[in-house]
Parts: sequence; C-alpha cells; structure tokens
Amino acid sequence: MDRKIKVVIAKLGLDIHWRGVYLVAQYLKEAGMDVVYLGNKFPAEIVEAAIEEDADVVGLSSLCGNHLALGPMVVDMLKEKGLNNVKVFLGGVIPLDHAKRLEGIYGIHRVYLPETPMQTIVDEISESVRDAA
Amino acid sequence: MLKEREENTCLFSEEHVKLIKEQYEDWFDNNLREADRELSDKYFTQSGIPIKLIYTPADIEDVRYSEDIGFSGLPPYLRGVYPNMYRGRLFTLRQLAGLGAPEDCNERVRYLLDHGATGVNILFDLPTIRGYNSDDPEAEGNVGQCGAAVDSIWDIDAFFEGIDLGAVSSSVVTHLPSTSLVIPGMYFAVAEQRGTALTQLAGTCQNDFIMETCVGSGYEILPPAVSFRMQCDVVEWICKNVPRWNPISYNGYNLREAGTDAVTEVGIAIANAIATSEELIKRGMSFDEFGPRMSFFWDLHNDFFEEVAKCRASRKVWYKIAKERFGAQNTKSMLMRYHVQTAGQTLPATEPLNNIARSAIQGLAAVFGGCQSLHLDSFDEAYSAPTEEAALVSLRSQQIIQAETGVVNTVDPLAGSYYVEYLTDEMVKRIFNYVEKIEGLGGLLSAVEGGWLHREIANYNNEYQKKIESGEMKIVGVNFMEADQADVAPIKVFEYPETFSRQKAKLERLRKERNDQKLKESMDILREKCHTDENLYPYCLDAVKNLSTLGEIEEIFREEYGLWAFPLL
Repeated sequence: MDRKIKVVIAKLGLDIHWRGVYLVAQYLKEAGMDVVYLGNKFPAEIVEAAIEEDADVVGLSSLCGNHLALGPMVVDMLKEKGLNNVKVFLGGVIPLDHAKRLEGIYGIHRVYLPETPMQTIVDEISESVRDAA
Repeated sequence: MLKEREENTCLFSEEHVKLIKEQYEDWFDNNLREADRELSDKYFTQSGIPIKLIYTPADIEDVRYSEDIGFSGLPPYLRGVYPNMYRGRLFTLRQLAGLGAPEDCNERVRYLLDHGATGVNILFDLPTIRGYNSDDPEAEGNVGQCGAAVDSIWDIDAFFEGIDLGAVSSSVVTHLPSTSLVIPGMYFAVAEQRGTALTQLAGTCQNDFIMETCVGSGYEILPPAVSFRMQCDVVEWICKNVPRWNPISYNGYNLREAGTDAVTEVGIAIANAIATSEELIKRGMSFDEFGPRMSFFWDLHNDFFEEVAKCRASRKVWYKIAKERFGAQNTKSMLMRYHVQTAGQTLPATEPLNNIARSAIQGLAAVFGGCQSLHLDSFDEAYSAPTEEAALVSLRSQQIIQAETGVVNTVDPLAGSYYVEYLTDEMVKRIFNYVEKIEGLGGLLSAVEGGWLHREIANYNNEYQKKIESGEMKIVGVNFMEADQADVAPIKVFEYPETFSRQKAKLERLRKERNDQKLKESMDILREKCHTDENLYPYCLDAVKNLSTLGEIEEIFREEYGLWAFPLL
C-alpha cells in the first residue's frame, strides 16, 4: 500500500490568523494525506517536528508580514539537517514581489496567495511528492 | 416566544392581514412561472434564514409598532440609540492607523485627523498584540508589520505627540485582556504626565478574552479563565477611574472574520457581555456602574439586508437583557453602542479596486444599521495594512456617505420594509436562541475551554469554503467573471525595515535610564498579586509608570499563570 503523504503544517511565529491554515489542513486530510497541524511555531520547532514526523511536505502560513524573515529560515534549517527532499509550501497575505523572491532565491517550493482554490493546493502538493519519489 | 397578537398596536389589522394572505396565495399561483414557484424556498441569507420571493404585511403580522419597533432613543432602541441619530452626531470616522514605529504612526494619525477623521484607531503589530517586546526572539520578523510596535510608555508618548489627548477619542486596539491591563494604562499615564485628567479621556480598548482564546491562535495563550478574569479586571478598574473610556469592546468582528455567521457573531459577543456582567455584579458592582461603558464591535459583511437587520436586532436584544435580566435603571446601560468595520475577509487580492465598491456598500449597510463609529476597509486589504492612498479612499468613501447620499438625514430609513422588519424580528429570535444555547453548554467560558466554539468556527469555514469552491457563493473577479491574471494590479506595500532597530535602540536606552530598584519592587508586587483576587490594574499601571515594558509584564503573566493549549491541535 502506498504511504500517505505526510504534511506538517504550521502558523509562522506569532501570526494569529488560523482560518486559512486550518482550512488547508482539513482539505489535505480530506484528500487522504496524513496531516499534523502544529499551531503557532517558530522555524526550529517546525523543522524538529518535520524530522520527528518524517514529513514529505512542510506547510507554512503567514498573514502578518513575517514570511520573509521566517519562511526562508525553515528552508535553510531543513537543508542543514539534510532534509533536502522536504518541500516547503507557504500561503497567506504575501505581496507579489515577496512571493517571487520566496519562490526564487529563498527556495520555497510554492507560495499561495489569497483566493487560491483548495484543490490547487491539494493537487500541487500531491504532484510535488510524486515527482520527488 | 409567540407574542399575543394585540390588535391595537400591530402594524396591520387582522382583517387586512387575512386579505393580504389570500391575495398572496392568488399571486403566487397565478402570476409566477413554474420555475419561480419551485425555487421559492431555495434562497437563504448568509446565516441561513430562508428568503421569500416577496414580503408582505403578512410576514410581520405579529410585530407591534410601539413595543417591537418604537422610536429612536426609546426602548427597545431598535431604531437607534439616540433620538436624533446622525442629525445630532454623525458616526465617527475612525480609520485604522498603525504601521512601523510609533513615530511613523504619529504622522499617519495626524494625516487622517487633518483630512477630517474624527477619531483615532490605533492598531498594533503582533508582538505588541501578543505581549512581547520588539527585541524578544519571538518578535522576529513582525516588528512594525501590520501595526505599530509599542514596548513602553515612551512609545505611546511618541504615538500621540502633538495630539491633545483630552480632545480626541482614541480606540486603542488591544485585543487581549492581558495587554489591555497594560497599554491603555500607558495611555493614561502619558495623559497624566501631560496634565490631562483621567476623567477627560475618551476612548476604547478591545479587551476580549474570546480574541485571545478562540479568534486568534497564538504561540503562548493564557488559560481562558485567567484571560476572562483579566477582562473583568480591566472593565472594573477603568469604569471606576476613567469614566469616559469604554473598557471593553465585545468583538464580534474578529470572530466573524475568523469564521462565523451574523447570528453567532452577535450571540457570542452578547454571551460574553452577560458573563462579564455576572462576574462584575459578583464583585459588588451594580449593572449601572459598568453598563453604560460596554461597547460592541460588528463586522458588516456582504449580505446587505441581513447586516442591517443584525444591527437593529442586536440593539433590541441588548436592551432586553440589560433591562429584564440585569434590572438596569440607567437608560445608558441599555444602549448598545457599537463600532463597525467592514468585512476584510470579503476583499480579495484580485482586482483590488473592486474592493472600494464592496467596502462602500458594506459601509452603507452600517449606516442604515445605525452604527456609532465606522472604519471602511481599504482596497489593499489582501496585501498589507492600508497604504496612505488606500486609507484616504476609505475615509473619502465614508465622507461621501455622510455628505452626499442624504442617508443620514432621517433615522433608520429602512424601517417599515416588510423584509427588513421580518429579518430583524427573525434575527432577534435567533440571537436569543444562540445565547440560550451557550448557557446550555454551561456558559461561554465552558464552551471555550472545551473547544466547542473553535469547532463551530472550523466547521463554518469548511462549509463556507466549499460554497466558494463549488461556485455557489460568487466572488466577482475570483470565481465569477474571472479576471485575467494580467488585470491584477500591483500594490505598493509599506515597509518599515528600520522599525526593529529603532525599537531596539529605544529599549536599550529605556533599560539604562530607568530606576531598577523601583521597577523591581513594582514587578514583585504584580507577581504576587497574580495569585490573589485583587484587581491587577493598579499594579500594572504602577509598573508601567516605573518604565516596565509590555513584554516584561506579559512574561510575568505567562510564568505565573501558565499556558493553555489551543484546542484544535
């Protein structure tokens, strides 16, 4: 039997807006993925959880402007720990130019802006894990 | 709760209603197409109230004018809290301001006041909202983002430099009770230093334990019972010492934004007002000592008529609770006064200029609903806190409603609409039922502690999102009449990268200049008082005056009370 896709998903740092992240977590679960929602965590804690849970994917949510400071830290720390195959997805209120930088030089696999259909997120996460396998 | 039909005061005579019912049947059978008849019961308001194709006097046959609707400024206050409403005093134009360091905000506040804003509405960055200093490790990446950074009394002083605190009314948006113990205190202390008496200060702080425990998730959350106790401490102390200040704004707004319908929004806020009142009465206050200073905060969403009905209904519900349940004697205790913000959650990033129309329509509903103050969300809502241009458009939209449309010239102009009166009556019933439901769960605190409210929110969001994904709920430019990607206008986002270093430098100076001995004494006393039933406000105020930082006080709370696990994990 195929192993379920394992997703560790967190709100970045102090951000308090949990509506979107929890919704994404529910949709991923409904799509058959194994989802661990961590609540609010900082990068080191998120990476620790990713290791512990043997995650395929890390999902981050930020609606309060800390995406540039904390998002890339998660990518870097994962690499430091040798988890090169873990893809990082980030969603929230992100200015367009920041989104480009995050997906470009900062190594976030995909950035989701407001209004992204849930199905898109589900499909792209599944695809990214399949491609990595 | 069926009312006795009282022929004298009902809007329409029994005979007349009977005739209208017959005419309705006839109209329905003989004038509608088959398709209209089949769909007649398939329309709903956002909170699920069935909508008929047409409303007639028969739908409000039991509504009595004098008792159920009445006059503005008289019970049940359905038509408005003041007799002359906007002819007497227009709703306050209260646009949010807050980005970067307090010094940057000072500029924005003066800019808005110079352009005719009549109130100040200050918004904080997340470290401030959640009680961390700008140089705490937890604050990284959030300092001055989405709001102003405030660490100490110095920052409040800088924020309001050149502004007469005795002359403005300031909404200080401290979400959490624990920060409401501290930041308004900084404002009070600054006022005193400038020679303005506390009795002269007008303003509002939010102070809502639902914000701490349900609406926002958090890195470190105080237990609900602690948060609730602090909420009551704030109300008690401020009512006794700063009589023109609203010590609480029951925040339906953010709950709605987090994910609820209009009934839940008002139902939870009122359940919280009931819980607070009961606690304060237990502490020996009379309802009339704090009733006049309780304020509410509503979210005006897209469903225009339901939102108007919600506003009208909520005033009546609160009047009945104040009067019948708490025996209010003072008329002011029975008035539900509220601030409105339009629904940020309805403003997409796609084709952002469309949001000007959305906010203006929501704002118009707020005015039809009889709000006391208003903030219109800006078109760049989905990008950042409002830029100066966007903030000005919002302010101008409000001024257009006030000055050009004529809607402020008469009280409650939608009264008497069969539909609006039907919906208002229905909302009253549904809000009361919701409040009863909460009480059936053992009260609001229990409902929160057990995660019940969190599950309500999560379930609502799931259903709401499914309606968007299926296209049942249309969002113009997003899932209906979709825009080309090329149409997405780039929005220039404000950035204050220097805020962190400025705040850090200020904190370093503060730590050098303050009297460590005096500070330590006040902090030790505060720590000790955490384990008594005494009101914490004076001890926080004392610490603030001795140049304690927000983060230091909050750390004491976190250490002394411990943390609570958010139920959805």
